[in-house]
Amino acid sequence: MTPPARRLPGELTFVLVMLLFGATALWQAFRISGFSSWSSPGAVPMLAALVMVTAAIRVVLVERRRKAPEIPPGSTLAATFAHVVTPRAIVAFTLLIVLYMFALEPLGFIVASFLFLVAGMWVLGSRRLPYNALISAVSLAVIYVIFQTAFSVVLPDGVLKGVL
Amino acid sequence: MPEAVSYFFMSWTSPYLLFLTAAGTFAGIYIGAIPGLSVTMAVSILISFTFKWHVNEALALIAGIYLGGVYGGSRSAILLNIPGAPAAIATALDGYPLAKRGEAGTAIGLTTVVSVFGGFIGILALAIGAPILSNLALLFAPRDYLMLAIWGILLVGSLSGESLAKGIFAGALGVLIGMIGLDPMTAEGRFTYGSVQLSAGIPYVAAMIGFFGVAEVLVQLHQLHITPVKQNVTKIIPSWGLLKKYLPLSLRSSVIGVFVGALPGAGGDIAALMAYDHAKRTTKNPSRPFGEGAYEGIVAPETANNAAVPGEYIPMLTLGIPGDAVTAVIIGALYIHGLKPGPMLMIETPHLFWFCVGNLVLANLFLLPMGLSGIRIFTKIVETPKAILLPLILVLSAVGTYAIENNPVHVYWMLAFGVVGYFLKMYGFQVGPVILGIILGPLIDVSYRRAMISAGDEPPQFLVEFFTSPVSIVLVAALALTVLSQTALWKKLTGRTLPKTPD
Repeated sequence: MTPPARRLPGELTFVLVMLLFGATALWQAFRISGFSSWSSPGAVPMLAALVMVTAAIRVVLVERRRKAPEIPPGSTLAATFAHVVTPRAIVAFTLLIVLYMFALEPLGFIVASFLFLVAGMWVLGSRRLPYNALISAVSLAVIYVIFQTAFSVVLPDGVLKGVL
Repeated sequence: MPEAVSYFFMSWTSPYLLFLTAAGTFAGIYIGAIPGLSVTMAVSILISFTFKWHVNEALALIAGIYLGGVYGGSRSAILLNIPGAPAAIATALDGYPLAKRGEAGTAIGLTTVVSVFGGFIGILALAIGAPILSNLALLFAPRDYLMLAIWGILLVGSLSGESLAKGIFAGALGVLIGMIGLDPMTAEGRFTYGSVQLSAGIPYVAAMIGFFGVAEVLVQLHQLHITPVKQNVTKIIPSWGLLKKYLPLSLRSSVIGVFVGALPGAGGDIAALMAYDHAKRTTKNPSRPFGEGAYEGIVAPETANNAAVPGEYIPMLTLGIPGDAVTAVIIGALYIHGLKPGPMLMIETPHLFWFCVGNLVLANLFLLPMGLSGIRIFTKIVETPKAILLPLILVLSAVGTYAIENNPVHVYWMLAFGVVGYFLKMYGFQVGPVILGIILGPLIDVSYRRAMISAGDEPPQFLVEFFTSPVSIVLVAALALTVLSQTALWKKLTGRTLPKTPD
């Protein structure tokens, strides 16, 4: 599809970072076995990194020709980036996921998932707490039963150790 | 031959397998229909859950979901103008206008029947073509696998997303990620930096679920406020006359579908778009202008995308090369169950092949009644607010990732890939090529090195060998054509390039 006429905020920075990453990968791939032979373990990594760098250069050149992102008057690029690409909902939800991940083993699957579901639904806009809690509880029950029986998945017990 | 028949009917005669296929097809239709849930996401998560199952059971469930999902996307495409799956993007173009005219029922009925028809043609092609290709595949040299793998990544990179350069970048990134770990030929560590964790390579399922599940959820957070329009659905079963009229188009679309599906890296979404394009160019007097509710506009893409599913199985089972992202995931599942897709698969375990064929037929048969019913339940489910749905998907993703090795580190990887995938998607890069790169990277590596070693480490000799066998020459030509078709020169010569799918 044809890309939108203007870049998104942060797009140029991102593709430049990708270029840098490709260059770093190329250097690291070189360190595997240098130019020792055409069929060395480092050959394909270097070729892949080279392709990445070439493609990234082309992308950077194309991006530079596109119009700069639209910044509403009175705002800055950083602020527009935050607003368009990383709005509050996404940042909040991602933080919730991080907390959920760390809580999975200590708190156990059921407790951690329940808290995550209720908090997640709230953060994403569903403000009816009792409703959220009910749906979360029911879904979690279904998921837990299906996983333990049909899929034989062992999920962490955490604080509910010995209860179930 | 008689053994083949018994394997074919294995899922028909075992109640449990029958149930799994039916459940899979049913679930697949709804997963495909609900925008925000994708078949690839579901299959990725299921791979780890079905790890403890017998491989046939896992395949039966996945086949059902795959076939159902590719069809299911058409429902929301027609009723909501939101394709539930990328394979239904073309269907929305004429499907939604049909719904607006009050003909949603006819549209749904028509798409169901032609989807089943396309599926059968595709399965026929699979049953006939795969054994032939498998014999041919024994003639494939490492350089041919190298070209096929590169072609697959190139196709996926060029036919989707914003630009060829971004697609190639994504593919190369995937290949690089796939290189992390121990070198299969010399056992040296590559990109491992002394870490034992990294020596085992990147957890493949975590990467898949991260890129296809978490990243998609994060992108969807931008679209929390889409409210569906209420629809009135009647008169679902299409008339015989209508079906007869579009049979030739359906047949042609099936052929396009199978062929595109069999191409490594190209899937149902590309097949659907090409079929739609074909219909537009070959229908002299469409029932209505295209874009305003032409029946041809839904018959062609829906037949093609369902025919593409068995088509995808062809390279997967015979060459071990995925036809698209879903078959890439299925290959992963086969590996987890100790099987090795490739030419030896047909020789060592032919029962698997015939089982798959029989299973697909069964799933296809289930598609007919399931597709023509349950519309009211569907509208209820689709109206589930994203605020409820997305956290649930996240929990399923996290569990799916954790369940592989009961290792929370995999979940951290999942999130990392999810965040990276999110930014990639936001900025116009496709994640499909990355996953394909991760899977095909090792194949590229080993094939390249084998080919280079047998050419005595001499690049000129290496290159010359690409022109020494008919198979290799054909592949070189195909590769060159794909690259050229995306350049400015091609655009000038033909006035158009191959159709692209949106992100």
